[in-house]
Amino acid sequence: MSSSVYYDSDAIRSPEIQELREIWRYRDLLRLLVANSIKTRYKRSVLGVLWTLLNPLLTTIVLTVALSQLFRFQIENYPVYLLSSLIAWNFFSQTVTQVMSTLIWGSHLMKRIYVPRAVFPISVIGNGLVNLFLALIPLFVIMLFVHQPLYWTLGLLPFAVLLLTMFTAGVSLLLATLAVYFVDLVEMVKILLMAWFYLTPIIYPLEAVPPKYAWLLRLNPMSYLIEIFRQLIYDGTTPPESHLALASVVSVVVFLTGWVVFTRKSNEFAYHI
Amino acid sequence: MNLPTTSEQNPVIQLDNVTVTYRAAQERIPSFKEYAIRWLKREIRAREFIALRNITLKVYPGEVLGIIGPNGAGKSTLLKVVARVLHPTQGRVRIAGRVSPLLELGAGFDPELTGRENVYLNSTILGFSRRDVEQRFERIVDFAGLREFIDVPVRTYSTGMGARLGFSVATDVQPEILIVDEILGVGDANFQKKSFERIQQFQANGSTILLVTHSLQKVQEMCTRVIWLEQGNLVMEGNPEQVISQYLEYNKKQEETHLRTVRPVQEKKEAPKRWGNYQAEIVDVRIENAAEKEQRIFQTGDTLRLRLRYRAHQPIADAVFGMAIHNHQGLHITGPNTQIAGLKIPVLQGEGEVLYIVPHVPLLDGLYHISVAIVNEADSEMYDYHDRQYDFRIDNESNPQAEKYGLVTLRGEWEVKKSTTR
Repeated sequence: MSSSVYYDSDAIRSPEIQELREIWRYRDLLRLLVANSIKTRYKRSVLGVLWTLLNPLLTTIVLTVALSQLFRFQIENYPVYLLSSLIAWNFFSQTVTQVMSTLIWGSHLMKRIYVPRAVFPISVIGNGLVNLFLALIPLFVIMLFVHQPLYWTLGLLPFAVLLLTMFTAGVSLLLATLAVYFVDLVEMVKILLMAWFYLTPIIYPLEAVPPKYAWLLRLNPMSYLIEIFRQLIYDGTTPPESHLALASVVSVVVFLTGWVVFTRKSNEFAYHI
Repeated sequence: MNLPTTSEQNPVIQLDNVTVTYRAAQERIPSFKEYAIRWLKREIRAREFIALRNITLKVYPGEVLGIIGPNGAGKSTLLKVVARVLHPTQGRVRIAGRVSPLLELGAGFDPELTGRENVYLNSTILGFSRRDVEQRFERIVDFAGLREFIDVPVRTYSTGMGARLGFSVATDVQPEILIVDEILGVGDANFQKKSFERIQQFQANGSTILLVTHSLQKVQEMCTRVIWLEQGNLVMEGNPEQVISQYLEYNKKQEETHLRTVRPVQEKKEAPKRWGNYQAEIVDVRIENAAEKEQRIFQTGDTLRLRLRYRAHQPIADAVFGMAIHNHQGLHITGPNTQIAGLKIPVLQGEGEVLYIVPHVPLLDGLYHISVAIVNEADSEMYDYHDRQYDFRIDNESNPQAEKYGLVTLRGEWEVKKSTTR
């Protein structure tokens, strides 16, 4: 018998690299987890995949009707304006909450058998990406419906998704690591996310914010990321370079921080959950 | 069974000074707020529970290592450390080879998914690739004997079916290291036989096996070496007979002390299991062996002596001493007294002793409870009654001649005669 697998608890000097290798080894598990969670979700509901398409449509209609009455500003094709940023936000907020709960409630597996810990958050992110992709379909339907032109800048969306994914992953990993030690953080984060939603120019334009508060939104990394989505989809312009550079740096830094913290702490998880 | 020639081979499992400490096991601080408050009050004490203490261990290819010890000794923790579920708090763990943990059969089964989907899920959890599973799928299903049920959701499976599927998935490929924790009783008798044969096959082919079971007999039969854990410490290591006999010896001593210390004579006032008018009291009760030494664990056929010490607070002319034995299930087995035995007790005054001697205890294995009493001859007045206060155990572990079935031995004799046919 060849010793194909060799494990040495002391040899793991850089868990952040080691974990990448382990994730690669368990890539088939990752793929299955994503496939299964999509499958189980749609198996249960009557409308199936249709539901994910209907949901954003209905939300958009409700919000459009409500908000266009409420706000004084006039935005052309508001549904597109709204949905272009809402899909990005939904990906972010759903992933953050789900990673936290997956790590806590999915922990029964971790206590019984070894799998690379990062499998859990990554599968949730993969799941979120599938949903994000599906959410593009109703967006395009609405765009066609309201005669919104389809700009070439749509082709740059994958880059925007990449930045958003890195930022989201970083925040999720950090919060999930903390949530292992403090369970009620999950509830706290849900409330914080709601506040964060309103502090990000999603349902309103940045210009609608009184100038003396604008700096506050400038501190919010999500506002840059949302803005990029909106510019690519709604405005049909490429974001200013400075803007892109800032968003990239923030996303990369947040992601690396989250990954390092998570992989360095994940050895302790089985003791705490 | 051949012991491997240890000098030539490298260990497949090597633990160096491994310590596993659970922090704050009793008290978990669930929230930030709590944490902040306690941090301010400096109330965060790291309460530690040491599950394994400084364990150094080498296991060589082909060994079957039994791990014995009472509950909470650290057996499961040790398995988890080898299975990589727990990272040691201190020390170093090295594993050379694929570990197949039969710790939790079907861990990670998703009840909503079908058997087929779960075979894939479970296999990839164990680290196999999808293509691997595709090739072996039919074999796994056949071994589990679940062909007809493979496309229905696992939530409709019985526990036995789930365990069978879990076992088949986990053992389809021979692992270098197999971890077996109390699961030799999977499924029906037929499947048990099959799974046991498979484990033996692995052993014959050179797999290393770690075995945790409460059945010392299994350990004796299967293991080439045994380690004994007690409160996280490695107490002893060696060949099965030696370790097991030491372990039994130790347990016996432990229980002996336990049986003796749990129930001293209760204070009369606060005693729900003691009543009477206490004009005469039983102040001490001793259970002794033939040599009149205090003992609480006997073998069937031993001499058991019960020694009561009484104190009469006023002269009592009509005293009767009695005792009773109940088994642990509450069955009243015997209840002799001095009156039935035709003994007239002289007037009790001051202190004295009464003995009840059983030359050959006929009881078989089990825990028994003794009651003692002083009552009047008319059985209308209770002077003192201690209800099932004194325990002893019959343990025939090292007495193979003892009978095994029922409650008592009648010490009967068999006669076999040839019928003479003409």
